[in-house]
Amino acid sequence: MRSITKILSIIAVALLPVVGSAADGRTTAEACWKEGIAAYEAGDYARAVDNLEQVVALGEASADLYYNLAGAYFKLGQQYTPGLSRPFAGGELGRAVLNYHRALRLNPAMEDARYNLDIAVDHTNDTEAVPESFIATVWLALRNMMTSNGWTVLSLVALALTLALVLLYLLAERMVWRKVGFFVALMMGIIFITTTALALSSRTAVVEDERAVVVCNDTTPVHASPDSASKIIRRPSQGVTITLLRSRGDWSEVLFLDGEKGWIRTAHVEKIY
Amino acid sequence: MLVLVALTSSCVAWGQVSFTVDAPALTALGQPFRVEFTVDAEPERNSFKAPAFEGFEVLAGPSVSTGHSIQFINGKQSSTYNCTYTYVLLPSESGTFTIGSASIKVDGKSYRTRSLPVEVIAENSAGGGAQQPAEQSPESRINKDDIVLKLLVSDTEVYKGESIRAWLVLYTRVNIDNIESLDMPSFDGFWSQELTFDNTPSREQLNGRVYEAYKIKELLLSPQQSGRIVIPAAMMSVLAQVVVEDKRHFDPIFGGRQIYHVARELKTAPIAIDVKEFPAGAPASFNGAVGSFTLASRMPSSELESNSADQIEITISGSGNLKFITAPRLMLPESFEKYDTKVVDNVKLAASGTSGSITYTYPFVARSAGEFRIEPVLFSYFDPTTGEYHTLSTEAMTITVTDDGSAATAPAVGGYAGYGGTMRQLDRDIRYIHTDRLPHKAAGMMVLTPLYWLVVVLIVALFVVAYVLLRKRIRDNRNIVARRMKRADKVAVQRLGMARRSMEEGNRHAFYEEMLRAMWGYISDKFNIPVANLTKETIREVLYRRGVATDVAEQFCEIISRSEEAQYAPSAEGDMSEVYAFAAEVISKIEDVVKR
Repeated sequence: MRSITKILSIIAVALLPVVGSAADGRTTAEACWKEGIAAYEAGDYARAVDNLEQVVALGEASADLYYNLAGAYFKLGQQYTPGLSRPFAGGELGRAVLNYHRALRLNPAMEDARYNLDIAVDHTNDTEAVPESFIATVWLALRNMMTSNGWTVLSLVALALTLALVLLYLLAERMVWRKVGFFVALMMGIIFITTTALALSSRTAVVEDERAVVVCNDTTPVHASPDSASKIIRRPSQGVTITLLRSRGDWSEVLFLDGEKGWIRTAHVEKIY
Repeated sequence: MLVLVALTSSCVAWGQVSFTVDAPALTALGQPFRVEFTVDAEPERNSFKAPAFEGFEVLAGPSVSTGHSIQFINGKQSSTYNCTYTYVLLPSESGTFTIGSASIKVDGKSYRTRSLPVEVIAENSAGGGAQQPAEQSPESRINKDDIVLKLLVSDTEVYKGESIRAWLVLYTRVNIDNIESLDMPSFDGFWSQELTFDNTPSREQLNGRVYEAYKIKELLLSPQQSGRIVIPAAMMSVLAQVVVEDKRHFDPIFGGRQIYHVARELKTAPIAIDVKEFPAGAPASFNGAVGSFTLASRMPSSELESNSADQIEITISGSGNLKFITAPRLMLPESFEKYDTKVVDNVKLAASGTSGSITYTYPFVARSAGEFRIEPVLFSYFDPTTGEYHTLSTEAMTITVTDDGSAATAPAVGGYAGYGGTMRQLDRDIRYIHTDRLPHKAAGMMVLTPLYWLVVVLIVALFVVAYVLLRKRIRDNRNIVARRMKRADKVAVQRLGMARRSMEEGNRHAFYEEMLRAMWGYISDKFNIPVANLTKETIREVLYRRGVATDVAEQFCEIISRSEEAQYAPSAEGDMSEVYAFAAEVISKIEDVVKR
């Protein structure tokens, strides 16, 4: 038992967050953050957006930061004057969806961000995704319960427990303990393999994220080929999530959730990562 | 009776006498032309008075031709009559001259034709197939500019979405027998629609010469992109008729007329249209409508019961690119369930552009009770004639929705409502922001980093080390058992110390006495039972209760029995040490079990 606590303490030390390097930039960022929060609370969403964008520009990146920025964009877009302007006329919906995605990329388990993203997507004309298989849905739901690092820690704990139970199986004198050791070690081994796979899958989804969000004032045409004279096959509104496939000059080939492909102006999409 | 009916009917027919004049509006100097005066009733004899043909020389006329026909249709008789006076005139000067009105008398009433202007132009000397020498081949009798194809447009500078008219005209100075083929240009960048048109030929002047003009096609073009769009050439091949008066092969009966067909390829010049982008400052509700429109609306009643349906109707009428107008955005309160907008259009195509009206119907169901404001519906269009944007608006109104008593079932808050075929949750808003301190930068991915591998290696190393160490301990554990046996022996040795001494002295009696005392005393001390109460039975019972195996208890009792027997009986020396060792072993066994 002592060996397990030892391993856990080693993991805990390894997980301590790396404290920021430039203290000066950090102070400015903290000031902007406070200003942005205060502006949001006062209902001045334009100022909130400015300040939080400045925090992002200073190199800060965290799920809460992107979550708040997305919220500020969404609220700003909803502040319109009926008759003079329409909701999200400045492309705020696209920015809100983009930042909710960024928050969820850093913390897939952030339930608030997922809820808000759902609401924001409701305002777009995004198409329904092709329904995935049951197993894929369960796997995705499981993966999104924790960050990749969470799964990594869990997998290492499971590895340590597996080996400890193998020891119990090998060294116990009494048959009961040997049996317990064998079966629980087997179970822990399965948990270790599953959590490692989840950690790797989560890492791949985060590092190789090729998704992008349509960022424009209203809708943007998607052409059949990288040429403005070609046929327009679709008009996604701002906030529609797509996958980037390749780019050619000012144009990018994109893949929609329902499997349709087309070419869009690169300036009208922004990558999540 | 029958005669009377016939008479009255003919009277009715003659009651509307028409007296008309027909002459070309345009002619060339030196080219004779015909003027025809037609009356559709029998005129009085010698009542026709021709006007003075000023500026013209009368070559022939008047020649009178009359026609009379009687028809019976379904037993009804109808008769038509006409009388035509024809003159052939030769213009003597260029300029515009007027053929004055002629008069005629029918049944005592006099009728007059309207006066008709005729323009006479002096043609360029070039061309004029008729003046060519007869020796030339029929092909060369038609000059290049005797047949001209032209594509004309109403405007070459338009705004995107504004429509223009384009028409293809064939100008000819010779007879056209047949149009063999026609290739219309591709109107890329335009939305084109064919128009119906009046195809009676007219006489038109082109480059100072008179042509017969035939309209071939008329289209309405609506540019869909801005910039310079070039309409490529239209191609046409025609067969022209050439009549040659052949003097050498003059036939006294059939004359010397020979008719030739000459094929000609015609091509129009490409036309460039400059399409202007809309000027800046478009209102938010502008959606590409170009033209001139009006907006009418039919609003729902201002009082509704909850869960009842009503609709808002908006009609856009006018002329412009009506076909491209999208439904104006209607903002309804969130508790109003919206349904698909119905569009009914009544759009007509005309040379001036499409015109008519489009009606949008927005059905809805008011779900919850309350007072709701319906925001005005805005529609903006661009007027290309003034170059300005105009915004039309319906009036804002307030709808009072009264409760129909089924509030419990109304999905007013948090419910779902169908919208455009998809389910949408009502009354949801985003959750509040997180107002803690600025969080630290998100940690990087740990998996597959050197640190991760270090931890994995560390865990495996710990396992190996622990295994090695614990295996040694297990081996030592076996020694612990041996030690514990040793400790039990020690107790036995202590107990049997006196007996051992007696055995070494060779005092048999004393040895067995000490043995018995040790055995009874061991049980008495160990289990806290007075020696007086001890019997073999109680020993068996106590040992059984403490989990000592029955055979061990039996062995213990056997030693007691043997000691009691041997106390007074002579026996060998080896006997004593055997009993001693056996007793020590049994006590050790009991110790081992009882200690645990």
